[in-house]
Parts: sequence; C-alpha cells; structure tokens
Amino acid sequence: MKIQMVTTYLRRAYSSFAVHVFDVPPRLLVFLLFLLLLFLPITRVGDYTLGVLTTLNTFAIFAVSWDLLVGRSGQMSLGHALFFGVGAYSSALLYGFFPLWLRVPWLAIPLALPICFLAALVIGFPCLRVKGPYLALVTMAFPLILTSLIHYFGGITGGERGIRVPGFFPNLPINQQYLAEYYLTLLLLSASSIILYKVANSKTGIVFVSILDNELASKASGINVTKYKLLAFAISGSFAGLAGAIYAHLLLLRSAGPSETLGITVSFLPVIVTILGGIGTIYGPLIGAYIYFILDRYVLNILIYIPPELVQAKFFAFTLIVIILIIKWPRGIARFIVDKLQDLEETREIEERGKHIWKREKKKKK
Amino acid sequence: MALIEAILIYGATAGAIYALLALGFTLIYGVSGVVNLAHGAFYMLGAYAFFIFGSQGFFKFESILALIFAAIFVGIVSSIVYRLTVHPVIQDEVAVLVVTVALALIFQQIILLGFGSSLVPVPSLWEGSTVILGVTLTYSRLLAFAASLGLFASLWVLITMSKIGRAMRAISQDREAAMLMGINTERLYILTMAISAAFAALAGVFISASLTGVASPFMWLEPLAMSFAIVILGGLGSIKGTFVGGFIIGYAETTVALLLPQGGMIGLAVPFIIMVLILFLRPKGLFGKRIEMEE
Repeated sequence: MKIQMVTTYLRRAYSSFAVHVFDVPPRLLVFLLFLLLLFLPITRVGDYTLGVLTTLNTFAIFAVSWDLLVGRSGQMSLGHALFFGVGAYSSALLYGFFPLWLRVPWLAIPLALPICFLAALVIGFPCLRVKGPYLALVTMAFPLILTSLIHYFGGITGGERGIRVPGFFPNLPINQQYLAEYYLTLLLLSASSIILYKVANSKTGIVFVSILDNELASKASGINVTKYKLLAFAISGSFAGLAGAIYAHLLLLRSAGPSETLGITVSFLPVIVTILGGIGTIYGPLIGAYIYFILDRYVLNILIYIPPELVQAKFFAFTLIVIILIIKWPRGIARFIVDKLQDLEETREIEERGKHIWKREKKKKK
Repeated sequence: MALIEAILIYGATAGAIYALLALGFTLIYGVSGVVNLAHGAFYMLGAYAFFIFGSQGFFKFESILALIFAAIFVGIVSSIVYRLTVHPVIQDEVAVLVVTVALALIFQQIILLGFGSSLVPVPSLWEGSTVILGVTLTYSRLLAFAASLGLFASLWVLITMSKIGRAMRAISQDREAAMLMGINTERLYILTMAISAAFAALAGVFISASLTGVASPFMWLEPLAMSFAIVILGGLGSIKGTFVGGFIIGYAETTVALLLPQGGMIGLAVPFIIMVLILFLRPKGLFGKRIEMEE
C-alpha cells in the first residue's frame, strides 16, 4: 500500500516535471542548436559544407519571417520570394549609384531594407482586399510579375544571367572568407530571429494572432486591422529582404538572378522548412531549416543516388515529405513529439485516477 | 490594316485556349472549394503525355488519338493523386494550397528525372496553314480554337442539363444538404478533379502543339498564373466569368505582344496588371458573387 503511494507520488512528480520540461525544449533546443552552430567550424567541416550552411542561415531568416506573416498573422503568402528578390535586386542595383571605392555590401544592404519595407507596403495594400485562396493566388503572382519585368528590362537587370555583386570580405583568403561569412550570417540569423520572436510575443504580435483567430471580433474591439495587417507584411517583408540581400552577396552565389531569388522553389522553401519545424512558433522554422539540411546532405545522399545535373530533382523527396507531414502531422514534427509526450503523461494520470476510483467502488460493493 | 485583323484573330484563338485552361481551375474550385495549384502541372503532364503518345514518341499514334489518350491519362493520374493527397486535408484551406503546390513540384521533378531539363519538341496537331482576312493561321491553331470552344460548350451542357451537373451544382451550393439527398460527394469530387485535369491537359496540348511547339519541365507555372489571372478576373467559381476573362486576357496579351516593341517578352506582367486593377475595383471579380455556379 505504502509502496503504491510512493510510486504514485513519484509518477505525479515526474509527470509535472515532464510537462514543465517539455514546455521548454523548443527554445532550449534552439539555444543548443545555436551553440552547436557556433562551435561547428572547429570540427573542420569542408569549405563547401560551410558555404551551404551559410546559405541555410540566410534561408532560416527568410523562413522565420514567413512564419511571422503566415503562422502569426494568418495571411497566406505563397510568393514570399518576392521580398527575397526585391532585397537581392535592390542591393545589387544600388551599386550602380555608388562611386567605385564605396562598392561594398555593408552600405548597400542597409539601404536595401527600406526599399523592401516600402515594397512590402505596396504589395500589402492590394492584398488587404483579398482573403483566403484569393490572397494566396495574388501573392503567388507577384514574383512572376517581377520576373517578367526583369526579363523585359534586361539591359538594366542583366536578364536571366543576373547582376554580379561584390562579396563581403574580398581581402581575406578564400577559406577565411567562408568562415567569416558563416559567422556573419549566424550573427544576423540570431539577431533577426530574436527580434522576430520578440515582435511575435509583444503586444503587436498578440494583435496579429487575434486577427488570425477572428478578424471581425478584433475589428469590433477597436483594433485597426488594416494597419496591423500592413505592419505584418512590412516587418516580414523587410526581414525577407534582408535575407535576400545577404544571400546575393554570399560566396557561393555573388549574383542576383531571377531564378535563384524569385523562383517558385524559393517561395516554397520556407513552407517546407516551417512545416518540418512547426507553423506559428517562430522557432520552428529554425529547427526545420537544420532538419532540412541534415536530410538533404546526409540522409538523402545515402538513400538515393541523384546525378549532379539533376540537383533540382532532389526537391522531390522534400515535397513528398511535406505532403505526408501535412496529412499525418499538420503541426510539424517538433510540435507533434511534444504533444504526444504530454498526451502520454495525461493519459497515464487519468488511467491511474481511474484505477483508484475503480478500486474504491469495489471496496464499497464488498 | 493587317495589324488589327491579326490582333482580332490571334487574340480570339489565344483567348479560347486560355479560357479552356482556366475552366478546369474554376470548376474544381466551384464544386469542391479546392484551390488546385497543381493545375499547371496537369497542363504540363498533358503536353508530355501527348509527346509520348504522339507521332514522335514511343507509341506513334495519330495526333487526335494521342490527344484523347493524353487527356484520359492525365484524368486518371489526377483522380488517383487527388484521392491520396488532397482529399484527406480538404477541410483545411491552407493545407490544400501547400499540398497542391508540393504536388506540382513533384510532377516537375518527375519530368526532370524522366526527360531532363531540356525542351522537348511537341508535334503539331495538323500540318499546314490557311489565310483568313490576310492573316496566316495554322490548321493546328484553328483546330485548337474550335476544339476549345466545343469543349467549353460541352461542359456547359454537362453542368446545366445532365444529372451529374445537377449534382455538382447541388454540392457547390450546400455540401451537407447534397450528401443528405444521397449524392456521393467523394466520388463526384474525384470525377470533377478528373474532368478539370483533363481540360488542363487538353489546354496544355493545344498550347504546346499549336502556339509554342515545345514542352519543358518548367512550363507549369506560367499557365497556372495565367489561370489565376483569368479566374480572378472573372470571379473564382464562375464559368461565365472564366469565358469572358479568358478572352480579355487573350486579347490584352496579343495586343501588347503585337504593338509594343519586344512586347512578347513582357509576357505575364500584362494579365497580372489587369488582375490587380480588377481586384481594386471589384475584389470578387467581374462575375463572382458567391461560390456558386450559374444555372
């Protein structure tokens, strides 16, 4: 009898502990991930892997900004590549106005941000008029418009070839360039994801969620829905633009071209990454981005052989994974595991209580 | 002046094919509320299926037979894919959008793996050409024009007069009530999907065989975007609106392509600028009132 009591208390203590711990991990996990990434270059991964991780960091900024817009304020955007492309192209085109000694990314990228902010306001304005499927269709259309305009004004924009841009650290030796770019993007990623997380959990972020839950009710409680919807677009758009501007300057690319910055795969990557990690969480896309990286670099290469000229086809597996995930676990892998563990604890508790009640009933009958 | 006649004739042929392209998109939305972003992928599959079945591929059928086979093939593929992937998440609008984009990308990658990234020459429907009002018009294009109009009319008849059409209209008005009346909604959704995908495939064959002459693994996005523009212009779910929207976009694109220097390069920007303007004036499109289909 006493032993049973002890075990019950222990179990209850464990379950309350577990609930508290399982409440934390995503954030803790992000922190551990950050530490891991911080010390990763010590392990001497190859330059190419480091370069891929660098681009991944910029894509993580992009995905987090998508999550703020879609997961928090509920405005479905399937054309987020627009802001990515605007960021890349505006910083690349700005060099034309600078004297030669000023042609460094440090000046062009900050100047590109207000342009992205304005572009997001301009795009957000017609998007206010439409909802649901119409909104997704309209947002998906904007990158296509920009792509066709870029092709039409090929004289300025370089057409399909794009614009060459200078790198971040032209004076360093090549392997140190990779390292420096890696730390730069990691710094920017952590800064911008902290900012976006703070925004999402601030008063403004709560208003975004209230608009997502019930637009009419938010309007009725005196919230200026128009302003907040535009604000969500503008914040998300500027961070996506930052990601695009950095991406164009990276060592692996060094150019702003329409297919790398405005293509449909660019629009769809944040969707994949966010669904892998969990939508509406802000930290989910970060974890998702690195799950994507591990799957891409290590798991898939072992499982299937893909000839190098068909790298595009690699995307195949990810899109398949996304479909399965959406059908089976619509809240993302990380969230699914956490929920499952919590459910397990709860059912165990309920079962135990049920046992006690059943025993009491039995005694009464006797 | 030959230019005006050229605009009239080329615009009409392009408009009819575009209307056919957007018809499937609006049909599946009107009946089941699915925004099928894989519509462009079915269009692409149609063109490739025509290439495989057609005279230059492995089977060497007559071009009309190949056309019919391509449409049936795409219809079957789409209904299987629909049942497996879209149907389980049909209640969630956002999930449907993501799943259908993912499907489109999967089809693109299957084509990439099968045929490589280079362009594939698509055989013409019918060799030779004629001159109408001083404008040279290939038979292939003329046939595509006539077939598009015919298909449009036959779908109209199907929806307004047949029993299946009445069931489709009933579902689009009230799904639960239709189910209570004994309509098998799931089977009807699958049928609608197959019809809509077959129409997309036919439009794909018409455009790739008579307008561009090639098929590529990246050809799905542009027609998808074109069908958004047409459908939003006419009102999502409205068949009348799709017909009018198709012709408006067809004429606008032809006019810009023929009047502006290098106007063909501007391509998609024209339909989208029209679309955005329409959204400002009438957010629900020209004919869109509610999600319903006309009597």
